[in-house]
Amino acid sequence: MADWQELVRQRLAGLALDAAEKDDVHAELAAHLEDSYARFREEGLPEKEAIHRTLAHVADWRDLQRKIFVAKRRAHPMKKRVQQLWIPGLLTLTLSMMSLAALQKLGFQARIVWNGPTAILLYVPWLLSLPFFGALGACVSSRAGGSRRIALLASVFPVLALATAFLLMFPIGMIIEWVTGRVVDFSVVATALLMNGIGWLLVPGAALLAGGLLVNLLLSRESSSQHMAIG
Amino acid sequence: MIGSGIKRGTAELAVLSVLQDGPLHGYELARRIEQQTDGALSFTLAALYPMLYRMEQQRWIRGTWETSANGRRRRCYRLTPAGKKKLSPLRREWAELFRALHQLTKVAHG
Repeated sequence: MADWQELVRQRLAGLALDAAEKDDVHAELAAHLEDSYARFREEGLPEKEAIHRTLAHVADWRDLQRKIFVAKRRAHPMKKRVQQLWIPGLLTLTLSMMSLAALQKLGFQARIVWNGPTAILLYVPWLLSLPFFGALGACVSSRAGGSRRIALLASVFPVLALATAFLLMFPIGMIIEWVTGRVVDFSVVATALLMNGIGWLLVPGAALLAGGLLVNLLLSRESSSQHMAIG
Repeated sequence: MIGSGIKRGTAELAVLSVLQDGPLHGYELARRIEQQTDGALSFTLAALYPMLYRMEQQRWIRGTWETSANGRRRRCYRLTPAGKKKLSPLRREWAELFRALHQLTKVAHG
């Protein structure tokens, strides 16, 4: 006979509630599965079939975990947003920036890949480290009950922050122009933004997203393989 | 087969109605609803428990841990006074909706 308590505990291990609340949820869901299994056995089903039918009550454990988290945290939508997006996002941003600073300090230089009017600079070792940070952000967000979309947003958070900073250059340029009285050539600014956008946003964004997508893929596989494991 | 949107809307009414007869734990509650609706309303765990937790937060139902005769712990849900108060207007709203839909169908086929 299956240990339903242990099964639920394992499959909802990532439920980001406090310990007591989490134990209650585990116990309640385990009791439900246990009752269902007992009922199927009473109806004369063989053990394997009874387990199989009982597990059919949960189509997707990850979805169940997310919905329970959302329902339990409904009273605190801001707290949920902070835990699922801002904390993992800022963690990804901080770690990726620290990694860049450390690599620069270690003497790794940016490689110029296109030397037009404005060069495109790529920090290859840094770019190679970004999928890891993207994966970490997505993982932390998922464990806090974040949906796949939120987890991906957390993984690409550093480029979203940089994109915002880049876009702010236009109004800031206009303010500088107004304050100093000097004319800023916005075509130069736009070209610089485009070139920097490739090196600082597009390529790093793709690297971060690759890590985030990998975590999403692994978590969805884990969820479906857990579903197949007992039967 | 009833669509998922309608099911979501009616699920709360079903829970409140069934709990009016007395406290039940999650599994028995789901089973009772399924039996009483001839299988038209059935719940997965992902549909049932998040809804129960939300209804508990809205204070329409209250869950308490109870130990059965065989020593197993079960969380039993019962209707609160606020839930009882909610039930009548909810029933009226759904009855009105079904009456309106019925009327519409009669007109469409008449």
